[in-house]
Amino acid sequence: MSVRDRIIMLVVLTLVALASIGGYAILQSHWNASEVKVVTEGVVPSALATADMVAQLKDVQISTMAVVTSPDANLARQANDKLSAQKGALQQSLELQLRQASSDTQRGLVEQAMESLANYFAAIDDTAKLKLAGQQTLAEANLFATVGQYQSELEVIVETLRIEKNRTKDSAIDALNRSLTQTVSAISVVSLAAILGLSFLGLLLYRQVILPITHMQEMMSEIATHQDFTHRLPVGSNDEIGRSIVAFNTMIEKIQESSAQLKQKTNDIQTMLQNMPQGILTIAEGNRVHPEYSAFLESIFECSDIAGRDVMELVFANTNLGADSLAQIEAAGGACIGEDVMNFEFNAHLLVGEIEKTMPDGRIKILDLNWSPITDEADITVRLLLCVRDVTELRQLAAEANEQKRELEIIGEILAVSQEKFHEFVASALKFIDENELVIRACPKSQPEAIAKLFRNMHTIKGNARTYGLRHLTNIVHSAEQTYAELRKERPGIAWDQALLLDELAGVRAAVERYAKVNDVSLGRKGPGRRGNVDRYLMVEREQIRKTLHRLETVNTSNLHELIATRDAVRNVLRRLGTEPISQVLAGVFDSTPALAKELGKIPPVVIVEDNGYFVHTQVSGMLKNIFMHLVRNSVDHGLETPDERLAQGKLAAGTIQLQMGVADGMLEIMLSDDGRGLALQRIRQIAEDKGLIETGELLSDEEIARLIFRPGFSTAETVTEVSGRGVGMDAVQDFVKRENGRIDIVFTDQAVGAEFRQFETIVYLPESCAVFAEESDIDDDLEEAELDDQAIDAGDLRAVS
Amino acid sequence: MAQVLVVDDSSTVRNEVCDFLKANGLQVASAVDGKDGLDKLKSDPAIKLVVSDVNMPNMDGLTMAEKIRGDLKNNAVNIIMLTTENSPSMKERGKAAGIKGWIVKPFNGAAVIGSLKKLVA
Repeated sequence: MSVRDRIIMLVVLTLVALASIGGYAILQSHWNASEVKVVTEGVVPSALATADMVAQLKDVQISTMAVVTSPDANLARQANDKLSAQKGALQQSLELQLRQASSDTQRGLVEQAMESLANYFAAIDDTAKLKLAGQQTLAEANLFATVGQYQSELEVIVETLRIEKNRTKDSAIDALNRSLTQTVSAISVVSLAAILGLSFLGLLLYRQVILPITHMQEMMSEIATHQDFTHRLPVGSNDEIGRSIVAFNTMIEKIQESSAQLKQKTNDIQTMLQNMPQGILTIAEGNRVHPEYSAFLESIFECSDIAGRDVMELVFANTNLGADSLAQIEAAGGACIGEDVMNFEFNAHLLVGEIEKTMPDGRIKILDLNWSPITDEADITVRLLLCVRDVTELRQLAAEANEQKRELEIIGEILAVSQEKFHEFVASALKFIDENELVIRACPKSQPEAIAKLFRNMHTIKGNARTYGLRHLTNIVHSAEQTYAELRKERPGIAWDQALLLDELAGVRAAVERYAKVNDVSLGRKGPGRRGNVDRYLMVEREQIRKTLHRLETVNTSNLHELIATRDAVRNVLRRLGTEPISQVLAGVFDSTPALAKELGKIPPVVIVEDNGYFVHTQVSGMLKNIFMHLVRNSVDHGLETPDERLAQGKLAAGTIQLQMGVADGMLEIMLSDDGRGLALQRIRQIAEDKGLIETGELLSDEEIARLIFRPGFSTAETVTEVSGRGVGMDAVQDFVKRENGRIDIVFTDQAVGAEFRQFETIVYLPESCAVFAEESDIDDDLEEAELDDQAIDAGDLRAVS
Repeated sequence: MAQVLVVDDSSTVRNEVCDFLKANGLQVASAVDGKDGLDKLKSDPAIKLVVSDVNMPNMDGLTMAEKIRGDLKNNAVNIIMLTTENSPSMKERGKAAGIKGWIVKPFNGAAVIGSLKKLVA
């Protein structure tokens, strides 16, 4: 039942109760009024009338007496008339009583009285007649006998009637009183019942309406105060309150949803702010940093007390910006915040995009700044959003990439010049620079001849550099030449400044030396070069330079990863300039191995080369070819057994020769081993004794015996074969290695100390600088593909320089 | 008849701003201080935009702006301030005087011309 229905019901019930009580009261008062009327107008007068009747009866008696006792006839007649009138009145009174008789008793008594009255009046009449007829005595006798008798009888009846009437009156009054009391009690009880009933209903209504509303209000206040949207109000009924609660719950649910979404969003933003590798802050009125900023900001600025700081101090203190720039930034920020967003357009160009900030320890960070306005609905800028990126590394990498680009361009320029001519150019340029330095040092003041010489020399360097297409160098030389040209004028725009001129000259020298270094180190073309020496040729693919340059030119300088990848790729290319894979260096050696094996009646061995990413400089490739030609031939000749021997020992018919490269303890190691019979220590000892290299029976370790093979003139072949015995023994091999500041050694790989044959590997140690480590890269792949594809190697694609 | 009134006591700035606005197709009038600016604005009802310096002799830019709104009862004209600095109190006064914006000096025409043209339209 709805609250409305309940209230209506309560009102209706109240009305019904009031109406009932009122109706009953009206009814009762009506009834009581009629009762009162009956008593006052009927019972009481009637009772009084009976008393009167007693008097009337006495009057009649007296009048009768008067008639009888009257002395003459006249008087008797007069008395008789009076008597008649009194009789009539008595008769009337009695008739009235008959009409007013309220009970059978009364009626009976009245009828009895009337009967007695009739007899009484008859006796009186008889007596009166006798008197009037003059029969006095008879009349008197009749009066006392008959009349008196009836009179007594009538008196008794009337008295009885009077008593009866009085009794009726008393009982009527009693009844009336009782009735009134009853009415009052009844109304009181009904009213009380109505009050109780209505109170009960009111209480019920209160409990069912007010209490839930109060409860609802409390719960709502609770939720509103604590913002705890997980709570729901219990729905206790299906009335307006119940529906209000359902509506409220739905609303809370919606609030909870949106609050959860908001929370999630806030959380997301917080997570972003906590984890994004970028500094983000917002600037509020007064150039203050808002408390919500990205955690990374702290690592950028290397401090944690950022909230509320003055942005001018936090971001712009100790930067490369001048006081005026700072004032402009401050004013521009102030002009934007709290104003129409248009002001941001007006002043955004004053908000700098990059600063160099000096940290407390002296490091300089390059910070990229990105500004944007945060606006409200009215397009007012409430805060400025500032994204800070530490681009120090990025800028360094970009500079590095730029440097690499320059180096590659220089390489391209140098490669266009023959080694011999380049060597001459560098030598002459340095000579001119030396001369100029002496000239400048000798002249504290401007001297026309000195300037002329400086200009001439520099002009010559420039001419030569230009001739050879060394563009980078030409630019630097040109600017020095321009200085001299200016000084040569009659009214030079600049003054003769020894220190400045020396500085400038040092710059030119550095540029020339850089070219020389690229030539000597990167390209391995140190020295004047030797015509006709194939080993000294350096192969650099023009396409590779072009591709690398292209990659450098197109690199996205704002992408750290791309920059790093490009730098590493280019570094690999640069490192690998003037280097070759060992497999390529020794290709001739391994190509000749099958033929050699067949010559010796052996199956061509399997050759395994593991360079482990190391490339050898071309300077040592000739030496490596020479020594490994000998070492591999030794392996095939002395190490590997014939197929029959091998099969008998459970080995595969074809032997294996393995070459490995690596760097350890600052030395490049090239290890050669085979799965042949091993080093014939007994035989080596025998030969050494035979040749008098050692005393017979001299105590020597296996290692000492092994090293005997490096002694000059030693040869282990039983017969001088076509292959090994060419007079180039292991002593020559050792010489070759030593010439490149290396050494050679034999290391046993088994534990069979003192055995006739021992497994071993020959290790060639060379300075680490003889090799470079270069990882594979896209550009490398391109390069290798080109190198492996014979068709690609023609005069147009390759530049051979000596 | 002009669209823009440039008020600045420095002839260098005044000419630079005027020339730039003219070069961008706007009709420009100029005034040398706040008083002059008020007179010019009174005599030319076509002016839609006032670009004014703040610190000027006789009458400064902010006072002029207040008088434009107060004495002249001209609430239609857009007012932009050219300034080198701005303090909260300046901004407060500017807001009360219905100033549309602040351009921090040096005047960089390219950065502001788009917005200025909108204010004249």
